[in-house]
Amino acid sequence: MEQAIIEAAKYVGAGLCMGIGAIGPAIGEGEVGAHAMDAMARQPEMAGSLVTRMLLAMAVTESTGLYSMLIAFIILFV
Amino acid sequence: MSLSKGEKIFVGILLAAIIVTWLFSLSNIGGMDQLSQMGIGTKWIYTFGEEPGFFTRINWMTVIMGGIICIIIIVFARGVSKKFSMIPNRKQSAVELFLDFMYKTVEDSITVKEYIKPVFVISTTLFIFIGVANIISGIPGLNVSVIGGKPQFSLFLDTWYTPTSDLNTNATYALMTLVISHAFAIKVKGFGNWIKSFFQPVFIMFPMNLVGEISKPISHSLRLFGNIYGGGILVLILSYMVKYLILPVALWGFFGMFIGLIQAMVFSMLTVAYIAGQIE
Repeated sequence: MEQAIIEAAKYVGAGLCMGIGAIGPAIGEGEVGAHAMDAMARQPEMAGSLVTRMLLAMAVTESTGLYSMLIAFIILFV
Repeated sequence: MSLSKGEKIFVGILLAAIIVTWLFSLSNIGGMDQLSQMGIGTKWIYTFGEEPGFFTRINWMTVIMGGIICIIIIVFARGVSKKFSMIPNRKQSAVELFLDFMYKTVEDSITVKEYIKPVFVISTTLFIFIGVANIISGIPGLNVSVIGGKPQFSLFLDTWYTPTSDLNTNATYALMTLVISHAFAIKVKGFGNWIKSFFQPVFIMFPMNLVGEISKPISHSLRLFGNIYGGGILVLILSYMVKYLILPVALWGFFGMFIGLIQAMVFSMLTVAYIAGQIE
C-alpha cells in the first residue's frame, strides 16, 4: 500500500513539475518570437541575422523549462 | 550540385549502414524494448579500490568518447592546415568563414583590445569540442546502459554516447570559464578594483553579488546538460514503440544536431559574455 502511494505520488509530482514548469519558458519564447517577427516586419533585410539571434535567445529562455524537466526525470527514474 | 567519387562512396556507405541498422533492429524489437526501458539514463561508472570516494570513480565512456572526439578534431585540423594556400579550396574556405564569424562576434563584445585573441581561442575551442560532441549524439553508434549493475553495450541501437550528456564535462568547462573570467578581471583591473567590484552599488549588496557569481557556472553547465541528456531520454521515451521505423531519425536530427549546435553556440557565446562582463 505504501509503495503504491509512493509510486502514484511520483507520477503526479513529475507531471505537475513538468506542467507548471513549462508555463514560464512558453510565455518567454512567445515574447521572443513575437518581437523578432515585429522586427522582421519592420526591417525585412535584417531577417537573416535576426533569426540566428532569435534562436540563441530562445535557447537561453528555455533553460528554466529544462531544469524542471531534469527534476521530473530525477523524480521518475532515480 | 555535383559530387566527387569519394563523396558518392561516403553517402552510399552511410545509406547502406542506415538500412542495415534498420533491418537489424527490426529483427530484435523485443530486446530493444527492454533495453530502452530499463537502462534509461544510466551511466557506466567503474569504481576501483574498496572505499568509494571522489578519486576512485571513473566514467569510462566520457573518457573514451572525449578522446575520440579530440582525435577527430586533430585529424581534421591537420588535414586542413597541411595545404594552406592563397586560393582556398572548399575545406579551407569553410574553416576560414567559421573562424572569421567567431572572431567578429568576440570583437564586438570584448572592449579591451589585447584580450580579444585569448577569449576568441577559448570560446572557439569550446564551440568546436561541444559542437562535434553534440553532432555525434545525433548519429547511431556505440552506447552503454547499465542493467542490473552490469554494463550492456548496444551498437547502432542508440546514438553515440556524448561526453556533454555527463554533467562532469559541462561543469568542468563552466568552472573553467568562471576562473578564467576572474583571472582576466584581476589582470585588467588590478586586485583592489576586483575586490571592490563585489561591493559595487553599495556595501550591503555583497551577498547578492557573490550568489550571482556562484550561480553563473551552475546555470551555464546545467543548460547544456539538460538539453543533451534530456533530449536523449526524450527521444527514447517518444520513440520506443516505433523505434527505428520512421520517427527516431528525425528526432535525432532535431535533438542531436539542431539543438546541439545551437546549445554549443549558446555555451561559447555565454563564455564570451561572462568574460566580457568581468573585464569590461
